[in-house]
Amino acid sequence: MLSLLSSLLSLLFVFLISCCIITNHFSFRPLSLLKLLGVIKFTASRDDDDHYKRDEGTYVVGEEELQRELMPRHVAVIMDGNRRWAKREGLLTSQGHEAGAKRLIEFSELCFKLGIHTVSAFAFSTENWGRHKIEVKCLMSLIQHYLKSKIQYFQREETRVSIIGNLTKIPESLRQTIHEIEEATKGYKKKHLILAIDYSGRLDILRACKSIVHKSETGLIREEDVDEAMIERELLTNCTEFSSPDLLIRTSGEQRISNFFLWQLAYTELFFSPVHWPDFDKGKLVEALVSYQRRERRFGCRV
Amino acid sequence: MDLNQSMRLLSSWIAQIGGLGLDLLWRFIHLVVSLWYIVSGIIEAVESYAISLGLNKKYSSINIEKLRCLAVVVDIEEARDVSKVIELLQWLRTIGVKQVGLFDSQGLLKKSKDLILGTVPGSVLSEEIGEKDSSPEQNPLALEFISSSDNKEAVMKAANILLQDYLKSSRPENDKGENFFTETHLNEALRVVGENVHAPDLLLVYGPIRSHLGFPAWRLRYTEIVHMGSLNYMRYGSLLKAIHKFTGVHQNYGT
Repeated sequence: MLSLLSSLLSLLFVFLISCCIITNHFSFRPLSLLKLLGVIKFTASRDDDDHYKRDEGTYVVGEEELQRELMPRHVAVIMDGNRRWAKREGLLTSQGHEAGAKRLIEFSELCFKLGIHTVSAFAFSTENWGRHKIEVKCLMSLIQHYLKSKIQYFQREETRVSIIGNLTKIPESLRQTIHEIEEATKGYKKKHLILAIDYSGRLDILRACKSIVHKSETGLIREEDVDEAMIERELLTNCTEFSSPDLLIRTSGEQRISNFFLWQLAYTELFFSPVHWPDFDKGKLVEALVSYQRRERRFGCRV
Repeated sequence: MDLNQSMRLLSSWIAQIGGLGLDLLWRFIHLVVSLWYIVSGIIEAVESYAISLGLNKKYSSINIEKLRCLAVVVDIEEARDVSKVIELLQWLRTIGVKQVGLFDSQGLLKKSKDLILGTVPGSVLSEEIGEKDSSPEQNPLALEFISSSDNKEAVMKAANILLQDYLKSSRPENDKGENFFTETHLNEALRVVGENVHAPDLLLVYGPIRSHLGFPAWRLRYTEIVHMGSLNYMRYGSLLKAIHKFTGVHQNYGT
């Protein structure tokens, strides 16, 4: 009786799969399973924190399976929506940014647990200097506070921290803290957190050109030696082995890259999430990773 | 012993029934999710056809003036079917788009340039706009054909030009090029190399993955990027919806 019921359900399942294949003709975007299954937990043996290795090759987080070999090596994130989140919650802008900072720590922790090597975050853009002075001051203080208070945490987690950007305009105290944390964590190789502060993609490219000019003046290179690889080596992302992100996540529903990693994002999978950054939790990250693992990336070549 | 055996048998049955129950629950969940997926897909398709037929008044008038330059990225596999690209361009002309940049990483569309220009009515190369005294078309569709060689390779060539100019120029000894290597200078150098530096307002990506596939990076600073799915299954309604959504976007530009 039970096996008959099970067989009927399986047949129904096959029928539905056929319907799904037919409706694929209409080129639907697949509905995220996690949105509907968010409150339903499949009972299975699990470790703490609801994620574990099912076998050597996969991670199971909630209801989704992530393949270890398909995990991106470098995930970049544009942390958009702190102010809108704060407004929605009836909080101050500074509290929104603080929630965003906490979210970044959790996000990077989870990424590293899932085997991602490099996480880079767009913390402050060159254009952000145009914001209200008090907000800018608050942001600089927040960044300094978090970097200073987390030095031991990053050492314990063996995570290398690098800060990239035009650091000439930031407060001296923050610059010292940056130097401190970079020195304290420079020896770690397995996990790398990159914070982009006062960063502009265009200025990064220009800076690379200037660096090449200085090298040519000292006779280290000739004019004809300048090629794409050389420019790439001079970009600020040369601090990591994987300078081009495999996946870029931008929150708050905005669908643009806003002058972040312009050169590096040529073949990066772009994932635009409608939620604000402080709300971008584990489920949303898994959604992004599942979406990434389902794509077939050809890097411009025919496979 | 009998009691132990009975207990073992009972717990074995309970485990099997429990496992089957969970299995059935899981299949039921899949059923619900699949039904939801199908229904939402049908709704989306119906909405798209309604937009195409002009039944949805929200999309009947679009402030197309806000969209000065549109770029379309096509996956190389899909770029082989030029007829689809031509159909897309005809739709864009109908909507009122005036300037379109077509990109595929390997330059397949560049090779089909003559066919596209000959087939899409009112289309001209964007370089030719303004060169002719009077265009036979009142509202020509300016087309630009772009490939990967216009991305990093172009920046590399422009960087070489800047390098040569800098080395040849007479400058103070302690000049580190701060006033020489600016965005304006690189823009100029890119123009010398023959590149268009005009940034598209909206980038539509047609292909299996959400990536701009190497579209000229220098131009993408504030461009809205929308993934449209496969070119083979493109719909006029979806195109109109994407453009309409863009016209409602407000950018802070970081401030």
